[in-house]
Amino acid sequence: MWTWFYKLASPPHVYTAAAALAPWFLGLAAIGIGYGLVAGLVFAPPDYQQGDAFRIIYVHAPSAWMSLFAYTTMAVAGAIALIWRIKMGHAVAAASAPIGASFTLLALVTGSLWGRPMWGTYWAWDPRLTSELILLFLYAGVMSLRSAFEDPARGDRAAALLGVVGLVNVPIIHYSVLWWNSLHQGATVAKLGRPSMPGSMLWPLLSMLLGFMLFYGAVLCTRLQGEVLNRERQAKWVREAIQS
Amino acid sequence: MGAGGDPIVSNGFWSMGGYARYVWPCFAFACLVLAWNLWSARRYRAAARLRAARMLVMEAGVDS
Repeated sequence: MWTWFYKLASPPHVYTAAAALAPWFLGLAAIGIGYGLVAGLVFAPPDYQQGDAFRIIYVHAPSAWMSLFAYTTMAVAGAIALIWRIKMGHAVAAASAPIGASFTLLALVTGSLWGRPMWGTYWAWDPRLTSELILLFLYAGVMSLRSAFEDPARGDRAAALLGVVGLVNVPIIHYSVLWWNSLHQGATVAKLGRPSMPGSMLWPLLSMLLGFMLFYGAVLCTRLQGEVLNRERQAKWVREAIQS
Repeated sequence: MGAGGDPIVSNGFWSMGGYARYVWPCFAFACLVLAWNLWSARRYRAAARLRAARMLVMEAGVDS
């Protein structure tokens, strides 16, 4: 029953699929981000309360979303590798971690720069900010743990386990603005059926989000190719792929 | 024409309503992070290919 699943997750299939998908993802990401930047920076009207400072949302919100998405991908891939012993799960998790960490750093830096004119401070120990900072530490922990073992298989398992345990932080980040008193604004787009933004501000944001997602896909595919080659360099198909 | 009928490239655009020192560094840092991601991923893949190719050459040397 699961034969198709294992076949789909076989290293040669993953390598070939990643190589085929990466350029498409990158091209579409360039379109999405390009449109989002022009529409967000030039054509969207200033916010009635925040003025032009609100435009930071076009890089802050997509990077914050992607920090959670990349972590969830990493944890789910790690869990799949642990439960079904599919080694490509570890490769996906390893490829996702540095990308997610960079998006988390971007979300924290842009949030801090947005906070200064709006809240009067670059940093506050606010639930949303603190839980996002913990996410950055989790990424760092997962990456360090993977490389801390002499046996790469043990490193993979330990990193996957920490990744799965750390997944508890993802809903905490998302719902922190509802569960606790927070300086951070509440949900803007993710309100079911009723986003609190007009279309002229919302479409560029959605385009940037899609662009960031596709960019993540492109970088993940590129890194994944490297991971597969590193892990499978003894395999016959890798020799054939290198020679061809 | 940009929002409010102003020319797209004008002092008003670059000054971002007085928030330029917060807005532009955010976009600059975002560009830097995206570029770093792309560069490091391609470098990682190239290094992995090189390692695999070197291994192939070494094995061919041993065999002969």
